[in-house]
Amino acid sequence: MRLNATLLGFVKKEFAQALRDPKMRMLLFVAPVMQMTLFGVAISSDVKNVRLTYHPRPNDTVLQHVYERALSSGWFVPAQVTTTDPFEQIKNGEADAVLVPPPEGLTQSIGQGEGSGQLQLLINASNVLRAQSTESYIKSIMAEVLKTDLHLLPTSSAIQFEMRILYNPTSRTAIFMVPGVMSMLICLITILLTSMSISREKETGTFEMLVSAPTKPWELILGKTLPYIILGMSNVPLILGVAVFAFGIPMKGSLLVLFFSAFIFVCTTVAIGTLISILTRTQQQSMMGGFLFLFPAIQLSGLTFPLENMPPLMKAVAYLNPLTYFLEMLRNIMLKGGDWKVIGSHLFVLLLMGTALTVTSFKLFKTNLS
Amino acid sequence: MQPTLNAAVSVTELGVDFGNFKAVNQVSFSVAPGEIFGFLGANGAGKTTTIRVLCGLLIPTRGTVTVAGIPYLSEESADRIKEKVGYMSQKFTLYNDLTVAENLNFTASLRKLERTYYLKRKKELFDFITFDKPESTMVKDLPGGMKQQVSLAASMLHNPEIIFLDEPTAGVTSAAREKFWSLIKSLAKNGKTIFVTSHYMDEVEQCDRIALMRSGELIALDSPKGLKESTFPHPLYELTPKRKIPYSEIEALRSPDYFDSFQAYGLRFHASPRTAQSWNEFLMRYSEDFDSQIIQPTLEDVFIRLVEGQNR
Repeated sequence: MRLNATLLGFVKKEFAQALRDPKMRMLLFVAPVMQMTLFGVAISSDVKNVRLTYHPRPNDTVLQHVYERALSSGWFVPAQVTTTDPFEQIKNGEADAVLVPPPEGLTQSIGQGEGSGQLQLLINASNVLRAQSTESYIKSIMAEVLKTDLHLLPTSSAIQFEMRILYNPTSRTAIFMVPGVMSMLICLITILLTSMSISREKETGTFEMLVSAPTKPWELILGKTLPYIILGMSNVPLILGVAVFAFGIPMKGSLLVLFFSAFIFVCTTVAIGTLISILTRTQQQSMMGGFLFLFPAIQLSGLTFPLENMPPLMKAVAYLNPLTYFLEMLRNIMLKGGDWKVIGSHLFVLLLMGTALTVTSFKLFKTNLS
Repeated sequence: MQPTLNAAVSVTELGVDFGNFKAVNQVSFSVAPGEIFGFLGANGAGKTTTIRVLCGLLIPTRGTVTVAGIPYLSEESADRIKEKVGYMSQKFTLYNDLTVAENLNFTASLRKLERTYYLKRKKELFDFITFDKPESTMVKDLPGGMKQQVSLAASMLHNPEIIFLDEPTAGVTSAAREKFWSLIKSLAKNGKTIFVTSHYMDEVEQCDRIALMRSGELIALDSPKGLKESTFPHPLYELTPKRKIPYSEIEALRSPDYFDSFQAYGLRFHASPRTAQSWNEFLMRYSEDFDSQIIQPTLEDVFIRLVEGQNR
C-alpha cells in the first residue's frame, strides 16, 4: 500500500511536469495525430504519376496505342516537354520515362516480322524504386497491346524491349538512397545542433550574460548560427567522401556547384534550427521541436516515398520542405551531372526559404528578457 | 518622487507587469555613487525583476528609471545602460565547459574590448580576486567560491560604474562569502556603486542602505541601523522557555495583548513588547515560564517582522 502511494506520487508528479506545459501537451497529443494523418494520406510506395512521353514517328499507331494505354492505366501522366531530345527530356527533369521507337516507327517495324519491333524505354533510375515499377508497368502494358490490339500472344517477340536505365544503370538502391541519406544527415545534424544552441543558453542562465552586454540581435543570431553553418559544411566533404569512396556513388557534376548548393541548404536548415531555438525555452523542447520538424520533413522529401504519389495538399507541404529541393539537387548533380535549370530554380527556392526564416528569427529574437 | 540628481540609480514609481501579474509595483528609490545598496525580499518579491530592469534587460511597464545618468527609454538607451553596468546573475554566468581564459575572452569579445585594454583589465582583476590557478582551468573544476569570483571579474571586465549582483554568494562556503564581501567593500571604496541582493542577513548588514521588497512593493528603505530602530522602537527580548510550553499558549502570546512581534528562533523566541506596561504584565504572568534578556535586533529580526511576519 505504501509502495503504491509512492508509485502514485511519482505518477502524479511526472504527469504534472509533462502535461502542465502547453507546448509539451501539443507535442504529446496533437503532433502524433497530425503526423499519423499526414503520413497515412501522404505516404504510398505505389508509383503513380510517372511522367511519360514518346518520340513521335509519322503514322506510328502502335506506339500511339502503347502511349495511350499507358496514360489510361492511371500510372502515367503526359510529360510536358520543351525539347525533342529524349535524353535531354530526362536529364532536365521534364520526363521520367520516354518511349523511343525505331526510326521507321514501331508500327512499320512490327510489320517486318518477328523480333523486328525494337522499342527503347529510357528511364530515369536515379530513383530505383520508381524506375523498377515503371519498367514493369510498361512491360505489362506492352503485353496488353500485343494481345488486345495486335492479336498476338503476350509472349510474342514481335516487339523487343530495349531498356535504357539512365543515371543508375545497375539499378543499385545505394545510388538512389545515398544522396538522399546525405541530405538527411546534413539536415539532421544542422537542425538538431542549432535548435539547442540558444535554448541551452536560456536553460543554463548564460543567456542573461549574453544580453547583459550591449550586443545587437544580428551579432547574437549570427554568432550563434555561423559556427553551425561551418560545422554543417565540414560534414559535407566527409559524407560525400563516404558516398563516393565507400558506396561508389558517381559524382558526375561539379563539386563547386555541389558545395555551393550544400552551403545554401545548410544556411536554410540552420535558420530553421535557430527559429526553433528562439521559440523554445529548454533543450528538451528544442530537441522535440527539431524532431517534430525533421520527421515529416524526411518523410515528405521524396527520400523514400515518391512525391508524385502524394495528394495535392501533401505535395504542397512537400514543396515547402527545403530537404525536398536539396535532395533533388544532390541527385541531379551527383547522378545526372547537374542541370542548370533544376539547380538554379531549386537554389532560388532555398534562398527564399532561408531569407524568410532568418527575417522571422530576427523579428522574434529579443536582446532582453521581456 | 523625482529622479535624484547625480544618483547612480534613480527609480520612480517603477512597475513591471507579466500579463495580469504585477511583479513590481510603485517602487521608488535612488542609489548614490559608491554606495553598497542591499535589496532584500522573499523569493518572488520582485528583486530580480527590478535588477533586470536596472541592467537594461527588461523593459519597465511603468515609471521612470535612470541608471548611470542614462534614462531608460528604449532599446537604444538599454544598450547605453549596459555599457555602464556590470551584471552577475544568480547562476554565475560562466560556461562550465570552457576554461577561465576562454570565458573571459568571450566576455571581452561580447563587450568589444580592445585587446590590450582587455589584457590589462584581466591582470588587474585576477590580482584583485587573487586568482592563482592556471587560466586554462576548466570552470567546472573551480571551487564554488573561486567560480563566483571569476564571475565577478567577468562582469567587471569593461570597468562598469555600477555592479549589479543578484544573490552572488548563493551556495558558496562562508569563507568564500567573507572574501567576496571584502572584494565588494573594496570596490565601493574605489567609487563603484554596488547593488546587491542576498538571502544572507549577516552579509546585508554590510550594506550602506537596504531596501526591503514584499510582493513587488518596496516596504522599507534605510540603513541597517535605521531599519532596526524603526522596526523595533521598543526593546527586543529573547525569551527562553523554562519548561515545555504547549503550542496553544505560544499562539496566545502571539496575540497583540503583550507583543508587537513574537517570533520563534529555534527553541527561543524574540519578542518586542507593545508597551512597557504590556511587558510588565507579561512578566507578572509568565516569569516562571520564561527567562528573558534584552538583545539587539538583527536584520533577520527586521526581515521576519516586516516581510515574513506580514505574510502570516
